[in-house]
Amino acid sequence: MAAREPSRYLARALPRAFAPSARPQAFLGRRNVSDEAPARRLSDQLEDLETSSSLSAPVSDADAKSFDPIARSKARKTQLPRSRYQFRSPKYDRGPLHPHQPPVPSDPSSRLFVPGPFALPRAEQTYNSTVASDILTLCYVHTPPGFKAPVKASRLREWDDSSPYHKNRPLRGPRGGDVLRLLRKPIKFNNIPKIERITIHSYVKNAASDHSGWLHVAGIAVQAISNVRVETFKSKSSVATWSIVPGRDTVAVKAELQGENMYHFLGKLIDVVLPRIKDWPGVKGSSGDSSGNITFGLEPEQVALFPEIEVNYDMYPPKMIPGCHITLHTTAKADKDARLLLSAMGIPFYGKIIH
Amino acid sequence: MATGTIGVRRVAPLLRPSRLDSGVCRSCQETLGRRNYASAAATESTSTSPAPSSSINPAYTINAGVVLSRPPQITRDLEPFEKAFFFYQKRLNERLALPFTKYFYFKRGTPLDEDWKKKIQARQTAARDIGKYNAYADDAWNDELLLGSQESEPEHQVEQLVLDAESTANATSQDTSKKEEIPRPHSRVTEADKKGDQKSLNRLLPRTLYLLVQSKEGYWKFPSSPVQAQETLREAAERTLSQTAGVNMNTWMVGFHPAGHHVHNNFKARVDKATGAETHGEKTFFIKSRIMAGQADLSASAENLKDFKWLSKEEIPQYVSQEYYSNIKNMLADR
Repeated sequence: MAAREPSRYLARALPRAFAPSARPQAFLGRRNVSDEAPARRLSDQLEDLETSSSLSAPVSDADAKSFDPIARSKARKTQLPRSRYQFRSPKYDRGPLHPHQPPVPSDPSSRLFVPGPFALPRAEQTYNSTVASDILTLCYVHTPPGFKAPVKASRLREWDDSSPYHKNRPLRGPRGGDVLRLLRKPIKFNNIPKIERITIHSYVKNAASDHSGWLHVAGIAVQAISNVRVETFKSKSSVATWSIVPGRDTVAVKAELQGENMYHFLGKLIDVVLPRIKDWPGVKGSSGDSSGNITFGLEPEQVALFPEIEVNYDMYPPKMIPGCHITLHTTAKADKDARLLLSAMGIPFYGKIIH
Repeated sequence: MATGTIGVRRVAPLLRPSRLDSGVCRSCQETLGRRNYASAAATESTSTSPAPSSSINPAYTINAGVVLSRPPQITRDLEPFEKAFFFYQKRLNERLALPFTKYFYFKRGTPLDEDWKKKIQARQTAARDIGKYNAYADDAWNDELLLGSQESEPEHQVEQLVLDAESTANATSQDTSKKEEIPRPHSRVTEADKKGDQKSLNRLLPRTLYLLVQSKEGYWKFPSSPVQAQETLREAAERTLSQTAGVNMNTWMVGFHPAGHHVHNNFKARVDKATGAETHGEKTFFIKSRIMAGQADLSASAENLKDFKWLSKEEIPQYVSQEYYSNIKNMLADR
């Protein structure tokens, strides 16, 4: 085809080649002294590098077998003092001008270092290999070339200038309430919904009226199933029947899961716990906060089905294993997309599906 | 300003196709432009003389194709670097985490507790998959693996877990005469992999497999057939699948839109003798589909197909032409 119509391609290519550039051409030839400073020359830096990788040279079997780091360190006559080979991060941040600066948190010697990841979770691999591309195909909306979406009215209303006091007022919210819902953009390759984080929340009503053991057991159970330290929360509202006073009684524990912990928890939930719940219809179709986060609850006997609790079920005091609410936060902007993602990952929904 | 740029500025609007919209991408502009020229020509010809039959009929046959795939069944094999990295992170975690609280998991004096004491003496750590390593000893700094050690291999770790479970079961069971056997996980390499059976759906478990069929002329392609009148692309794809690969499959079509397309130009335009219509080639639009259960069966195939195979993305170029593969490769999953 290109051979048949060379003139058209040439005509299209020509103006671009000769188009006047925004950058002034004259400055490109200017040279600075700093450009030629010896420290900036790349070739000098490259000379410091070794030409061959240490991994490329094969190690002989005899060398590999005879290498014993413990024996070598013991054979040393004088041991170096610890401070000579072990870097210790400063305990306090003394500001950016202090000569002793803490290392970055990803450095194992940092005090903030958190090890991980330890595995590539199966749920994450399923999402990347199968679910994401299917969602992209399902959510594709075709617009013919040259299509221009009709311009939508602004979501915030303007004042009608009937009064002189309307000048410089901020815009009014939408009719029927001041809440601006999230805007749902068309789903493209760069905004495929994915699970962002999972929150496990457990409200222990007996913690206020009975004793704090309820809260400890709930915290241990949630920590066991989530592999994340829990936070405790005080009640914000008063519940007279459970004798809960706002601001006084610590009544809830919460764990926030992200990354590897989140995918491991999701995998356990979908493949182990949910299929074993008797007569469970699924997650209610009307669940969701209409911005892509779905919540459902588990009863205490359902929480006990988690393998981490099952292995030593006897060690938990009887009837003190808590129920919990599990919120799946997704990057979807509407519940419809979140439900599509979660049902693809294996969470069933029942009843009337509300979008 | 140089005189050259002024001259180009005068010439540029003449060369540039001015009536096309700059908000539309280049390839679409070309299509639109061509379509406009063609429609303009068509209106001119209708005004002067009745249109020839070739301009009414489409010059290309429209086909509906099905990319039927079996998603990966198991996790992928880890790269050597990933194995080493994960193992090193596990040992770092062992050094940084609080010690294992034994009393929460084992009641004193039980057989499980006795078994645990024996194991912790041998292993020196609560973790069962990081080898013999004591994170609280003086030589805890020696946390790196030596050359050729097996501890970071997932197969080795699984074997250790199974052996651990077996020894626990043997130590705590009442019946000492019988040896307990913990079932090992199934092999990641199946019978079909060993035999090289490319018709089996049980092969290459960590990869996505795609169904390819061989036409009677001998070339391989995804199942496809012409879209009939009054039929949507999705309906045509469903019909194609049931006609070519049989009804003995539980499949799910992913959406209503094609995920890719392939244009085949004939060397010479083919003229249908009955109607006199010309076809320059065929355009195939592929709809994604997933197989849940069943197997392809060509015995009742309406299209006279010779053979079928389940192939991964890397194997497909050995069977299809280079041009076909360059058109389909971007809609196939990497894994």
